[in-house]
Amino acid sequence: MGTQVKDVIIKPDAPSSLFLDKHADYIAAYGSKKDDYEYTLSEYLRMSGIYWGLTVMDLMGQLPRMNREEIIDFIKSCQHECGGISASIGHDPHLLYTLSAVQILCLYDSVDAIDVDKVVEYVKGLQQEDGSFAGDKWGEIDTRFSFCAVATLALLGKMDKINVDKAVEFVLTCMNFDGGFGCRPGSESHAGQIYCCTGFLSLTGQLHQVNADLLGWWLCERQLPSGGLNGRPEKLPDVCYSWWVLASLKIIGRIHWIDKAKLRTFILACQDEETGGFADRPGDMVDPFHTLFGVAGLSLLGDEQIKPVNPVLCMPEDVLQRIGLQPDLLS
Amino acid sequence: MCLWPSGLPYCWVFFTRKKFLVRVTSHGVLKMAESEEEVDVLVQRVVKDITNAFKRNPNIDEIGVIPCPEARYNRSPIVLVENKLGVESWCVKFLLPYVHNKLLLYRQRKHWLDREALVDITCTLLLLNPDFTTAWNVRKELLQCGVLNPEKDLYLGKLALTKFPKSPETWIHRRWVLQQILRQFSVVGRSRKQQQQQGEAEQADGERSQQLSDHLARTLHQEMKVCSDAACRYPSNYNAWSHRIWVVQHMAKGNFKVFHDELSSMRLWVSMHVSDHSGFHYRQFLLKELITELSQTPASTTTCSPQHQSSTVPSVNPHHHSDTQANGELSGAEAAGEDERQLSLTTVLHLFHQEMELCSDLIQSFPGHETLWSHRRHVFYLWHQWRREHQHRCSNNGSSESVHLNNSDPGLTEVGAQSCAGRGESVNGQRHASEPMEIDRAPLPDPRDSKRLKRGVLLPAPPGLPCEHSFVSSILDRCSNPEQRRFALAYKKWLDTVMGPQP
Ligand SMILES: [Zn+2]
Repeated sequence: MGTQVKDVIIKPDAPSSLFLDKHADYIAAYGSKKDDYEYTLSEYLRMSGIYWGLTVMDLMGQLPRMNREEIIDFIKSCQHECGGISASIGHDPHLLYTLSAVQILCLYDSVDAIDVDKVVEYVKGLQQEDGSFAGDKWGEIDTRFSFCAVATLALLGKMDKINVDKAVEFVLTCMNFDGGFGCRPGSESHAGQIYCCTGFLSLTGQLHQVNADLLGWWLCERQLPSGGLNGRPEKLPDVCYSWWVLASLKIIGRIHWIDKAKLRTFILACQDEETGGFADRPGDMVDPFHTLFGVAGLSLLGDEQIKPVNPVLCMPEDVLQRIGLQPDLLS
Repeated sequence: MCLWPSGLPYCWVFFTRKKFLVRVTSHGVLKMAESEEEVDVLVQRVVKDITNAFKRNPNIDEIGVIPCPEARYNRSPIVLVENKLGVESWCVKFLLPYVHNKLLLYRQRKHWLDREALVDITCTLLLLNPDFTTAWNVRKELLQCGVLNPEKDLYLGKLALTKFPKSPETWIHRRWVLQQILRQFSVVGRSRKQQQQQGEAEQADGERSQQLSDHLARTLHQEMKVCSDAACRYPSNYNAWSHRIWVVQHMAKGNFKVFHDELSSMRLWVSMHVSDHSGFHYRQFLLKELITELSQTPASTTTCSPQHQSSTVPSVNPHHHSDTQANGELSGAEAAGEDERQLSLTTVLHLFHQEMELCSDLIQSFPGHETLWSHRRHVFYLWHQWRREHQHRCSNNGSSESVHLNNSDPGLTEVGAQSCAGRGESVNGQRHASEPMEIDRAPLPDPRDSKRLKRGVLLPAPPGLPCEHSFVSSILDRCSNPEQRRFALAYKKWLDTVMGPQP
């Protein structure tokens, strides 16, 4: 009985060098087709979309090409009475977009454009008795939101406003036997959640609580023969999962456990030579989301054409140096 | 794919784009609806058509987009065939931006919509773009003020999941709605208790609470069905399976029977989906919960059951309803407690044994599946840990339990070796040893029937480390599938490094 191997085959004519100029053009043009149908469809996550676009532009040294004033005004108009920030105008505030907005403002060194104290109150108000965080006032709990909360506060230098011990306690209840983390206690380990939880533990100075060898093992097993990484067993490789896994490995000091050259080959093969941008897998349609994580992944792999990226916050290291934030990494 | 916050994954929307938007072209429509007013009229009619379709057929069970690039005159783009609701692709391009903008204008208080219009618009919007969080929030508000009822929203979510089985926001909204239902239930439960305290318990009230608990059991059942459907539509559906975990944690807490039934029904499902890591994880979760429950001392489980009853499906766990313990009578209580402990331990061994057998069977029948090997790690780890904890606890307090375990532990190894031999036979090309397979298929021992399982009966137990090593060797000896070899070797390495150093 044959086994269907869940992986991709990289064709010999797949891109093998990096087309930074094309990617910058692709991102710069993306925001201009605002009445596009797709643009409407993804409006509910617009703030994160802007963060992806701006971060990848900054990593490529092209941030000045984006319209700074327009973006800052947009963010201002997305802050609500409660202090939280929404994905776009008229949408409801949420921790996800509050973090994205704060990240963007850090790139632009203009955090004061919004009411920072209110943001802090908003985040603080979402912490629950057991230390977990709700994503918004409707109460959904997820370790992703624990990450969003501490990442937002760390960028604002206000980590002391929440009960950090309790927050850590909750995230640790989501740790599994394989060293990984899920969205809630008892949930399956997942590369995206692992990124959030290791990032969370880094920002709270608790990385010693991770079983780095065991988790590193699980993360390395995500690498497939094509070189790409998947997010869970028997899933296809994906550029964005390559980032979640790679960043987690970097955070726990085990990045040398995977085959970096093969991963680089996989990521490069996901570029579209004509349009610019990266897709999830070779040959698929490109989007800004995978473009950021393709470029950020190459940066973590040491590509010198790209600015060094911070694995915890997925932001350029020079931005974090400017605000004096240095999240812990294991060695 | 992936949905995530800023710095975090979000493939979902792009996935959507690939799947159906590509087909949307608009030539036909431009002829039909050129001016803004025409679009307005067109779209309002389509929204009404959707609402009417639901009125006409309340049993619609699936939605989809029908590839159809051109509008056809005098025909609605809303098509109802049997219980399937289809939207012709040409109109989506007009429909979505229209309802999208209407709702956002309302949210910014720039445009007034009455409640009925809000219900219709959010319905259309969410069927087309179910991750539009704010639209679900509008419905939450409508639900809070009684315009919508919880069942209606669970139904809308169910339909959205037929087309978008991963949609995170749909699952999140479901959990919120389910919490509203649970809250209703616990409010009635509390008022009932108060009335009883005042001696005013009435029969009508009892009937009402019975209705509610039936309702809750039905909701639980339907929720499992929704999860299964979504799991079948998209493999390793993280959101569907983590929702299912949430549901049993919140709606069946401490309910041994629900967990047990889930474990039984999942057996066939995982056997037919040997690559579905999330499905197997759910099994691991159930197993762990059941074993934790069974390993607790009976006294402690009894004390925690009443508090669950107020907010979850009434527990029918026989384990919780030992009159002897509830009344606290000493006559025969010790013996009964000992019996029950014994029975629980037997059940634990049985569960582990069955699971390892199932896993071996699947690994041999479907070579080269990482999921199966990962499952084996998990189950073996659980078993290993359970055994260590129990030995540890018993040697500490020296209770009668320790006698049992100390006596039986060598026995376990012995039995483990036997089932090893059984597998050895099948490895040599014969049928599976019949004995373990029969046990495999036998139902769990009924905890109520303590006579059926007398103390001291040696049951087949899960294997120890040496047995796992010989299992791996047997696979490696005869297997030519390179994937299977890779996973077997990784498992062996895992045994050596992670399990090996422990006593
Ligand atoms: Zn992806």
